[in-house]
Amino acid sequence: MKLKSFMGLLASERLKLGRSPIWLLVPVSPVIGLVIGLLTSLDGTSAAEQYAVLQSAVLTLHAMLLLPILTGIFASFVCRFEHGGGGWKSMLSLPVTRRGLYLAKFVTVAVLLGITQLLTMAALVLATYYHDIAGGIDWAIAWPSLLSGWVACLPLAALQLWASIGWSSFAAPLAINVAFTLPNILIVNSADYGPFYPWAQPALAMLSVSGGGMDFGAFTLPIENVLITIGGSFVVFLLGGLVHMQRKEI
Amino acid sequence: MKEWIIETSGLSKRYKGRYAVSNLNLKIGRGEIFGFLGPNGAGKTTTIRMLLGLIQPSGGNIQIFGQPLRRNRLQILRRVGSLVEYPSYYGHLSATDNLEAIRRIIDAPKNRISEVLDIVGLSKEAKRPVKGFSLGMKQRLGIASALLGSPELLVLDEPTNGLDPAGILEIRELIKAMPREHGITVLISSHLLSEVEQMANTVGIIRQGEMVFQDSMASLREQAHGSMALRVSDSMKAMRVLAQSGIPSQHEGALLTIGQTDDEYVARAVRELVASGHAVYRVEERRKSLEELFLRIVGEGRGL
Ligand SMILES: Nc1ncnc2c1ncn2[C@@H]1O[C@H](COP(=O)(O)OP(=O)(O)OP(=O)(O)O)[C@@H](O)[C@H]1O
Ligand SMILES: [Mg+2]
Repeated sequence: MKLKSFMGLLASERLKLGRSPIWLLVPVSPVIGLVIGLLTSLDGTSAAEQYAVLQSAVLTLHAMLLLPILTGIFASFVCRFEHGGGGWKSMLSLPVTRRGLYLAKFVTVAVLLGITQLLTMAALVLATYYHDIAGGIDWAIAWPSLLSGWVACLPLAALQLWASIGWSSFAAPLAINVAFTLPNILIVNSADYGPFYPWAQPALAMLSVSGGGMDFGAFTLPIENVLITIGGSFVVFLLGGLVHMQRKEI
Repeated sequence: MKEWIIETSGLSKRYKGRYAVSNLNLKIGRGEIFGFLGPNGAGKTTTIRMLLGLIQPSGGNIQIFGQPLRRNRLQILRRVGSLVEYPSYYGHLSATDNLEAIRRIIDAPKNRISEVLDIVGLSKEAKRPVKGFSLGMKQRLGIASALLGSPELLVLDEPTNGLDPAGILEIRELIKAMPREHGITVLISSHLLSEVEQMANTVGIIRQGEMVFQDSMASLREQAHGSMALRVSDSMKAMRVLAQSGIPSQHEGALLTIGQTDDEYVARAVRELVASGHAVYRVEERRKSLEELFLRIVGEGRGL
């Protein structure tokens, strides 16, 4: 499939998202992060540690629960249009490859997650200004954290997309996703299981580089490990989804 | 030699050991309107899904535009417009945006959207979200989507589902004009012969996955020719009289039926009967309607 046709597919996906409620969901987690950031008290914290503490306050709920859940919602959402009323059939009767369509959906989810991360960054900036932290935002730890959080979501996105396509349902993959996300709270503290649990990867990736008071359990693992888990699961989930898509009877 | 736009050989689809479609040899020539008929569950949609590459056949081959579908699916689908089973749509988008979502993929010219909306009579509703459309309006939008890429082959699975009589007539006229005006070949499926009778020039009748009739509409009409029924005073004797003058007939009770209906033939039969002293009370034409013939074909599955 040529690049031009792929761009056409992406443009089509964008149009479908255009007037949909997904845009109300994208800012939810950043806004919650901002509120937590504003409410955090930095009174007893030394000036040197203030920024790190604030960043982990803004990011913890987001990375631990909301971002993995949103990943599932986004993946279900981009398939929702096709699940309703034979949409897969009419999409795949067009001159598109199944692989192209799958990848276009994946890229769309990745872009939505990217926008979420950028808004989260904006929340972090605002909270930093609000607390008037000396030296302002520490970009050197903020960017790697948000970027690696985004990367850590990609295997989840691939897995959720696979589930969404396989199940032909909007709600079922979402429920499963939430059920697997909730144990994060316990699993990130486990050095044994944390590194291998896909839903915990965003938290591990985002909170380990911040270093702000989170150096326990799986967070102390070297980032290379996390990246190998992420990279490995990404390849497995993406290929699984692609193969499923290729074989799906429409 | 005729140019086949769709040609399948031995096309089959098996679901859990049961054939939904078996050994189908479909042949559709350029510019034809092919009426694909069969009752519920006969295998029409399954066949169409295979023709569009949505499902893999369990056996057999498909050639479209003379190219194997398996290898050239993308090139083929670029020249095909389709509507399978029921129209799909994005409810939150307007009719225009629904078409735009497809246009971005097939890269059709932008003004084609208003053209096709005009063709199916939806121009006035173009800006409304489609979730508020009636079934017939959605069906029209589905047909508009199929036409969007200016296809050479149009595959329509029960396109008049949910349309009112005026809508059915409109779509029929629209489809009839396709080969004439744009050289488009059309495959249209339906339960009803009467629906495609007036536009199709070829019909294929499928029953329990097997093609039981495939020929021109004219030849189907011929099969449906009528007979004459004569009520006479003594049908047994009358039958012998007719047989002697070389007119074969059958008798059922007081009725005598003869297979031909042309004036000369009937006049001769009546003359012979009257001349040999028989009273002829009634002479009526019995028309076996096309629909009856169709029902017989799909009902009993006797190949003609
Ligand atoms: N995915 C499937 N799994 C099992 N059987 C199937 C499947 N899809 C279709 N069938 C069977 O194949 C047969 C043909 O179905 P198909 O949908 O092609 O019929 P149809 O001619 O389009 O009927 P209708 O007029 O009702 O639309 C049916 O008996 C159906 O039960
Ligand atoms: Mg059908």
